[in-house]
Amino acid sequence: MNESSAYQDLQPIHPEPASFWRRCVFSTDHKVIAKQFLWAGLLFLLFGGLLAMMIRWQWAYPGEKVPGMGAVLSRSGGVITPSAYNTIFTMHGLIMIFFAITPIMIGAFGNFCIPLMIGARDMAFPALNMISFWTFLVSQGLVIASFFVQLGSAAAGWTTYPPLSTQIGTPGTGQTLVVLAIFVTGVATIMGSINYVTTVIRLRAPGMTYMRMPATVWGLWLTAILNVLFVPVLGSAALLLLFDRAFGTQFFIAGAAAVKGGGDPLLFQHLFWIFGHPEVYILILPAWGIATDLLSFFARKPAYWFKGSVIAMTAVTILSAVVYGHHMFVTGMNPLLGQSFMLLTLIISVPAELLFLNWLHTLWKGSIRLTVPMLFALGMVFVFGLGGLTGLYLGTVSTDLYLHDTMFVVGHFHYTMAAASFLASFGALYFWFPKMFGRTMNEGLGKIHFWGSVVFITLVFGGQMLVGYAGQQRRLYDPYQYTFLAHLRPLNQWTSFFAFALGLSQLPFIYNFFQSVFAGAKAEQNPWQVGTLEWTLPSPPPHHNFDTIPTVLRGPHEYSNPEVKKALGRDWIGQTENLPTGATSGAVAGTGGE
Amino acid sequence: MSDVVPFRSPRARAHESTALVGMIIFVASWAMMFAALFFAYGMVRSRAAAWPPDLLRLPLGLPALNTAILAASSLALELGLRAVQGNRARVAGALRIGAAALLGAAFLALQTVVWLSVWAGGLRADSGPYASVFYGLTWVHAAQVAIGLVALAWIALRAARGTYSPARHLTVRLWTIYWHFVGVVWALMFVAVFLV
Amino acid sequence: MNSLVRLASGLSLLLWAGVAHAAPKPETAWGLPHDASVNGHLIDWLINSTSVFVGLLFAIMVIWMLWACIKHGADHPAEYDHGDGKHHITVALSISAAIFFVVDGNLFYNAMVDVRGQFWNFDKPESHPQAVRIEVNAHQWAWDARYAGPDGRFNTADDIVTLNDLRVPVGTPVLVQLASTDVIHSLYLPNFRIKQDAMPGMINRMWFQAKETGEFDIACAQHCGVAHYKMKGQLTVLPRSDYDAWVGRASAISSVAFDAKDDKAHWGWAWKPN
Ligand code: HEA
Ligand code: HEA
Ligand code: CUA
Ligand SMILES: [Cu+2]
Repeated sequence: MNESSAYQDLQPIHPEPASFWRRCVFSTDHKVIAKQFLWAGLLFLLFGGLLAMMIRWQWAYPGEKVPGMGAVLSRSGGVITPSAYNTIFTMHGLIMIFFAITPIMIGAFGNFCIPLMIGARDMAFPALNMISFWTFLVSQGLVIASFFVQLGSAAAGWTTYPPLSTQIGTPGTGQTLVVLAIFVTGVATIMGSINYVTTVIRLRAPGMTYMRMPATVWGLWLTAILNVLFVPVLGSAALLLLFDRAFGTQFFIAGAAAVKGGGDPLLFQHLFWIFGHPEVYILILPAWGIATDLLSFFARKPAYWFKGSVIAMTAVTILSAVVYGHHMFVTGMNPLLGQSFMLLTLIISVPAELLFLNWLHTLWKGSIRLTVPMLFALGMVFVFGLGGLTGLYLGTVSTDLYLHDTMFVVGHFHYTMAAASFLASFGALYFWFPKMFGRTMNEGLGKIHFWGSVVFITLVFGGQMLVGYAGQQRRLYDPYQYTFLAHLRPLNQWTSFFAFALGLSQLPFIYNFFQSVFAGAKAEQNPWQVGTLEWTLPSPPPHHNFDTIPTVLRGPHEYSNPEVKKALGRDWIGQTENLPTGATSGAVAGTGGE
Repeated sequence: MSDVVPFRSPRARAHESTALVGMIIFVASWAMMFAALFFAYGMVRSRAAAWPPDLLRLPLGLPALNTAILAASSLALELGLRAVQGNRARVAGALRIGAAALLGAAFLALQTVVWLSVWAGGLRADSGPYASVFYGLTWVHAAQVAIGLVALAWIALRAARGTYSPARHLTVRLWTIYWHFVGVVWALMFVAVFLV
Repeated sequence: MNSLVRLASGLSLLLWAGVAHAAPKPETAWGLPHDASVNGHLIDWLINSTSVFVGLLFAIMVIWMLWACIKHGADHPAEYDHGDGKHHITVALSISAAIFFVVDGNLFYNAMVDVRGQFWNFDKPESHPQAVRIEVNAHQWAWDARYAGPDGRFNTADDIVTLNDLRVPVGTPVLVQLASTDVIHSLYLPNFRIKQDAMPGMINRMWFQAKETGEFDIACAQHCGVAHYKMKGQLTVLPRSDYDAWVGRASAISSVAFDAKDDKAHWGWAWKPN
């Protein structure tokens, strides 16, 4: 205990600032910053979603007037032109990855969960945290601005491959602004991640050993580590690309367009994927962590071989740095190199399978409560199964010769990112909403939102996989120009209808979200009956989170412990709770790993 | 390292180690960015037919001098830090940190001279991969020098105002780490871009 | 683009109007496009066999989840088990290992055999006496093709130059060396299950062998700008005799159309040895 009292002194309680501006706008409170990221992210999720709807419209009715878009596409009289289409899918991809899912899952829940779940009063560097958000907002501003300059926004694909992304392929300020936005958002991400990594290392409450950290924190922490190490690589790629665009350097320009030999277009692909592959795990690791926790919480059962899951996630984190070449099998890379990348890529599936097994075992013989967060967690496991397994076809050189740059790839990464990370983010939102806003969301609407999302997500992205299997390339303004694709029109059309249905099934969420934020029923302190630290605090928690920094006695997944049932008469026990009579807390603390 | 061993509260010490952990992580991140830049240099060079192209030679003298200057600057800053820790912040500390800043400014000035002379010599930003590497890498490095400069000037002033004591001078320590890192990167760049 | 080259290819097209105008047959059913290549079945088999394994795993996973959700619901008492006992761990590890060795093992082994033996094994076609060699230069948004012609040397007067129009004989390996003048393109032959990027400043290669005559789509698989979606050409697989006849006629026309002063038309390169 006196150990703990020492800790009290290390993190002083700062009084909550009085002025509205310092409290709600330029706040250094991680809980406020989390909400700011949430709003910014959801808004751009809507934006990216609408762009997706336009992609699907174009494939259902190529070159026909887009309903309600007459004003936006006024120059072309309401129809999507080929160049407009390129901008649409490029910005859809960039917005969803960097400006929607990242801020929601990492910006919002990283900020909200880490300090609360490890028992800290705030992030290690609150001011840096605030700057990170405002830097991110600048990058979002740049994205918006890029749509209003001449020649419109970026159009070189989210992968921004040069020479197409240089002045040769996409002249105009829009592409430059977007590359700049990527650089700026990278800076913001690095600031945030330095904060996360340091906070976890330094500010864990007494007794909060690494193995007692919730899986959510593990996922976010590993993600932050990947961000710290690999976003700078994207940063330098973006920087060099900006030099090529603005000052005529030739890092990436080659061929006829280049003076004196020229640079190397492949160089950019290396830099991009050295970052880009870790990035995809950056987007899934928090989702894995969230799922691992939620499955245990609502199966009322300890997370099965928690240590194994942690090891698996760590293994994926490390391996993610050495597989990036699988994105470049057909660029003419050295065959031996290609074969090595194939082997490493296939090896990554082992920890993933371990993770799945642990999830399945966690469910087995549980006492499953199908709450909305649990449904989203289960949905995440379901769609990630599809996404992950389809990755195997792509990791294999020979099959990738056929599948590369087809819709099969697009289907793969929508099942993983757009489905798994997407659903996990919503699971997290439904789960922590009461703690964030002190109000409860409507259960019924939540279930409608879940079933609509999971069913149509499966159908939409399944449709993408099917046309990819049939050979349809990505990024086609009008696939039916090709004889071998003409017969896919009905299939694509149905996929589009499902996509519109998917869009519509987000409406109940939008209503539910706003309704609950402003008029939801008051939330109790621990509505889900779970034991992690944040639920020992009132909803919403006070400015300084913990009046006294708690001392942690056991892991986060202590459910249906007979000892606890005997002593407390309930199926859960908090991470800081002392077992009153008889049973030494050690007996319980021991479990859950050290 | 310092003669007086000042008392620091547990909170201050904890705060310092947290900041240092953060700084180390930041440096690791920053290093990855330069690792990527050097990777780019390597790939572009490995593809080039001739390196440097057509008899063109970059100046060696000034960059070499610049390397020395940056090293001196790092040394001055280190001594400045020692002075602060030895409770001699107001005079010795401020002067040495100020000297470090001035040397940094000199570095930028000379670097500008190098750029101008090379440009006048006909090697423009757009004259091919060799020029790209030369300008691209030195630009990025100069940018981080500029950032450091502002910070050094600022802490020199604060040192003169007596803001720092043996017990409270975390900012100085952090920027010293940053500045040493800047120096190391330059050394690598000097070898890669100008020497080999 | 140079008008004479167009004329040349235009003429050669007219000569073989019968062939040139026959368009590729549209696909009828969903699923993999018709396989016209000698090696395509290797990829098809690997994809489909993997689908069986993966489908099985996924089915197990789904049934397991459903079963748990139905049978082990709120009224079922949860079993207190951290699953970190020795036997638990052994089971988990061995199942993952088993999945890895069967599913990934199958993929890895066959991919190694196929890639080293066929798709990336360029000794095979290069050593074939009758192998056809074609240089392709991609640019926004078309495919220039170049055949060496009778003298067997590229970038000479008797080269056959065509636009978006590849002609190959059935049953002989075809070697393609690829370059691009502007941005990255990707030469994609869906009916032959292969693609290869065309990189500015690089010469990439690929090879394939047709097992039947007919007309097939040539597609661009890499986003290359506004007209990426219609950067297509036609691959015509001819009986050997027709092919040889075409080569004869076409090179005759090409020599007529040859213009020594027009550098743009001489984009070819000396064939890169293996
Ligand atoms: C969240 C994002 C995410 C995740 C997690 C993954 C995961 C994986 N990805 Fe994916 N990928 C992307 C996002 C992601 N990917 C994106 C965005 C692209 C395209 C970028 C672009 O080109 O635009 C891409 C592209 C991509 C390629 C390049 C394709 C090409 O361009 O030709 C490859 C190739 O190897 C690949 C492979 C893999 C593999 C092997 C995994 C593995 O990690 C998967 C591991 C999981 C499993 C193997 C499943 C687990 C096991 C089961 C479900 C069975 C359980 C059942 C029982 C135990 C009974 N991915
Ligand atoms: C995480 C990332 C992510 C997400 C979530 C999505 C979501 C979707 N994507 Fe996207 N997609 C990409 C990442 C993503 N995509 C990337 C990287 C590419 C490649 C780009 C390139 O090739 O360069 C791509 C490309 C891509 C293509 C291929 C284009 C082409 O190759 O030509 C298609 C086509 O079907 C598509 C469709 C969809 C659909 C129908 C959805 C649907 O799931 C969308 C449904 C969602 C909504 C309708 C939003 C609802 C709004 C809310 C829930 C917020 C509520 C708001 C408030 C409360 C304020 N996407
Ligand atoms: Cu050429 Cu796409
Ligand atoms: Cu990858």
